[in-house]
Amino acid sequence: MCPPSHPLNLLGKHYLITGAASGIGSAVAVLLNRLGASLSLVDRDANGLQETIRLAGAGLSCYQFDLKDIGGIDRLVADIVSKGGRLHGVVHSAGLQSIMPAKALTVEGWREVFAVNTESALALAKAMQSKKVYAGDSGSIVFISSIMALAGSPGATAYSMSKSALHGMARSLALEYASKKIRVNCVAPGFVRTPLFERTEKLWDADQKRAVELQHPLGFGEPEDIANAVAFLLADTGRWITGTVLVVDGGYLAR
Amino acid sequence: MDDIVSSEHNGYVLISGSSSGIGQEMAVQMSGRYRLILNGRDAERLEGTRNSCANPSDHYIWRYDLSSVDQLDEQLTSFLSEHGIRVSSFVHCAALLKILPLRSQTLPMVRENMNVNFLSAMEIINVLMKKKVNDRRLQSVVFISSIASKFGAKGFSAYSASKGALDGLMKSLAVELAPKVRLNSILPGGIRTRMTTDIFSSPEMVAKFERDYPLGIGVPQDVINMVEFLISDKSRWITGQQFVVDGGRTTAISA
Repeated sequence: MCPPSHPLNLLGKHYLITGAASGIGSAVAVLLNRLGASLSLVDRDANGLQETIRLAGAGLSCYQFDLKDIGGIDRLVADIVSKGGRLHGVVHSAGLQSIMPAKALTVEGWREVFAVNTESALALAKAMQSKKVYAGDSGSIVFISSIMALAGSPGATAYSMSKSALHGMARSLALEYASKKIRVNCVAPGFVRTPLFERTEKLWDADQKRAVELQHPLGFGEPEDIANAVAFLLADTGRWITGTVLVVDGGYLAR
Repeated sequence: MDDIVSSEHNGYVLISGSSSGIGQEMAVQMSGRYRLILNGRDAERLEGTRNSCANPSDHYIWRYDLSSVDQLDEQLTSFLSEHGIRVSSFVHCAALLKILPLRSQTLPMVRENMNVNFLSAMEIINVLMKKKVNDRRLQSVVFISSIASKFGAKGFSAYSASKGALDGLMKSLAVELAPKVRLNSILPGGIRTRMTTDIFSSPEMVAKFERDYPLGIGVPQDVINMVEFLISDKSRWITGQQFVVDGGRTTAISA
């Protein structure tokens, strides 16, 4: 059990984590659970959620839900609150990555990316302002964005746009929610070894993979590297940080 | 839980500017968990800092006035060899802040400002990278920069320039010294310290600060939390970044 004296302790706190079935969301769930938080995990992949629970241990609640269903998010949140109590924050880690040239983009395709990556984040953050949902005291919302929100890459148009929008959202929400003592920040990861990354990786040959790795002066990252930054922003350690982007990218953007 | 609570530090943490302000409080806060080298120009105040530390005899004092860098290499080299100690982390807190319009600035003043705020940091890292002096033990460097590195304010030209230089140094060295050494900057907003006493002495300024800072005025602990995160292995995949810790101050003006 995490000692109450630990600066990162999240004892008595309840967080909603999206995209919790794999990758960064799963690593965040495992770490926050160890720091003493109670967690409600959301993902469309029910088997993946079970795998996260197996890794994290007992006491976590799972909700199979596809975040494309923006209109259903209020009901999802109400369900989570009625079962697990009011929330101290949200970690939005769910993300669709569609890498394709602009000419191959379709209206339906980019709207789907935008719905899952961006609009669902807004719906969740909007839900947090309700006294029926927000536990009060102190709250923290973290959107997992991407270095692609800050740097371009051919084929990443829809993805970049959806992630950049999270940064804009976080800045204005941070100002609006400051009086409620809810902080809003983004964590922008570089290329981290996740299932999403592994699917992208398969599209590269050995030279391309080497080239991408060389773009990260510290090499590729692990989901735990991102989870550590998320925990820092959720815990009291981040109490004077809001409206910012915490880049965790092995040096990618420094070059 | 141990791996969350503690991380390996097999060398000293050098804190410049630890005779006052954020640096002093940092030294006191961290002294129970790290062995420190306290740098400043005033021997009596440094001794005062050390006596406020946990286990004062664990920590060394390196008195050196950073307003001149000419003797720095020689002095730091002989200090480290005399005591047979090595530095694993360096936190540059030393800074001068004189708020003056351009017409009131003189070149000697600006040079002194550049020496303390910027050049001394470069020279210290240069010494700590020498194998004979520090045995390749340097792992992490954190600069206490300022939001004045990114945004302008009347009377801040010399200070802004020095912090901008510091952040430029940080980014290039992050690329150059990867993967062995990680470098990052923290950009605090207005924090109550001795350096900023004047700013907080007028009621109008306090009122302005309360208006401009959505989460209120900061305290040194808010910055120290980020320093401890950035020198720990929880941030092992973070390098070359500027981290804004400003209670939302620049969120309204950030791009």
